[in-house]
Amino acid sequence: MDESTKRLLQRLIRRIPTQMLRTTLDKWGRLTGGQLHSMDFTQSKWALTEKLLAICEENELAVKHITELEMIYIIDNPNQGMWYAFQLMDPEDDAHSVELTQFKEQFKSHLRELIRHVSVKIKKHTDEAVWIRIAWGDTFSRPNHMKPTYVVHSLQTPYVFVTSLTSKQKPLLSQALVLSTRYQAIKDANLSGRKLTAIRDLLMRQYHQVFPTRYPTPLAENNPAVSNQHIEKEQAESAANRLQAACEAFGGGMLPQLQSAVYKLETKFRDHSNKTMTEREEPFRCVVKFASTNLLESLRHCASSGIASTPVTPLLSSIPLKGKNYFVITDNGPGPSSQMRQPQK
Amino acid sequence: MSLLKPFSKLPGLCTANILLVESEEQFQQSLADALVEETAVTVNVRLAKSLPLPMENEESRPRIDLVVFIINLTSELSFQSAEASLKYLDPGYFLGKVCFMVTNARNASVPTERLDAVRKLAASLNCPLLFAEDQTPDGVTNATERLLTILKVAAGLVPMATALYLSNLTRCTVPPDIDQPSFD
Repeated sequence: MDESTKRLLQRLIRRIPTQMLRTTLDKWGRLTGGQLHSMDFTQSKWALTEKLLAICEENELAVKHITELEMIYIIDNPNQGMWYAFQLMDPEDDAHSVELTQFKEQFKSHLRELIRHVSVKIKKHTDEAVWIRIAWGDTFSRPNHMKPTYVVHSLQTPYVFVTSLTSKQKPLLSQALVLSTRYQAIKDANLSGRKLTAIRDLLMRQYHQVFPTRYPTPLAENNPAVSNQHIEKEQAESAANRLQAACEAFGGGMLPQLQSAVYKLETKFRDHSNKTMTEREEPFRCVVKFASTNLLESLRHCASSGIASTPVTPLLSSIPLKGKNYFVITDNGPGPSSQMRQPQK
Repeated sequence: MSLLKPFSKLPGLCTANILLVESEEQFQQSLADALVEETAVTVNVRLAKSLPLPMENEESRPRIDLVVFIINLTSELSFQSAEASLKYLDPGYFLGKVCFMVTNARNASVPTERLDAVRKLAASLNCPLLFAEDQTPDGVTNATERLLTILKVAAGLVPMATALYLSNLTRCTVPPDIDQPSFD
């Protein structure tokens, strides 16, 4: 093991919490039962790292084995860093018949054609998603395993999720992905968040959606907590209507956890009392950002408690509807009433 | 527009009815749960987001003895909603059967003007202004006790005391120099 491999292992062990270390090493399966037993997990991280380094030395493990361990840890704990969603466009005829081995080979060979020094590792997770770990190098340097890019793609779906990708590497990855998945183009889906599962659920519509019905469910069924006969809500019906409208807009039950929504406004300034600004030719640029630990939940609460009026404005309800949290709003047409939203990019 | 009237219905035996109006519908729920615990009299609680109350409940609604407007000082909307609701009350209520309850007054982000506005509002209507803590169970119990005291008088369950008499003693007054800029 050379110096950089040791550093990689040290850093990795530092990142894994002590209580998870044992199960992660178990899954890794590179240590024999005796070696696992000889490790005392009550010791400090530093002592554990030293011990593990000695064992790895003994087993003659190389970089690729260490990256395997890292992948196992990341797959189990994907909610680190920002994940960005991309959407594949225009499938070719055989796009639906791409299978794992073919995809693996294709992706690796396409990426190697574009850039010489790159280390790719592909692993299939139990939930059908393919996890790709890419360590990038450049023309003169070897792949840097300290800053790998992770790509998650479920075959036969048009969505790809990427974390820690620099703008320099983006075209390379895009091209390799497009070619190996048999699509024709890839575009930014304008959705990002800290939770991989959340943005995946949002894009693939895997959350509890509520649809308008002519026969709404009886209120008693929805909140069984209201029991005391001495307490009565005067406006229970309108509250139920608001809740229904809010759930129709944002979904019911547990919602995917989004952290932010950004609206970039490029519209003309309109205010009759401020003539100088209104008469300006160029659009008034500003950015509106909503941030919360669970943005959709907050918005639903705003609507259901009446802080925001219902029906919910399409600006907010298009977050779950279109699966985006980055919008560019521009003017369409000259009249002040024809203000249209047009998400771009 | 339907006015809520204080004497349009007959009172029940040993019952007191209170109406809690709060635009955010958070604190009123915990208050209501605490209020109905009272054993000496039967307390009926009606919860509303704002006034006017819907017509279809007119029949089932008992005589309301006390109307409480809960205002969350951190939200301008809460104050505006309470202010807008006031005009749906019969003037008879303002003879001691209305009180204001303010929450979050200790919050640092509250502009002082808003508290002044609430005080002026309460003073102009000759209503008591109560301050409550809505985050702690102790605060809820405390607020409940104070409301119950007023409610029992307003419902006519306390001999020798009337709502009008009590409100003369408890109504909010505004110091004459409230509009003066402070010098500290």
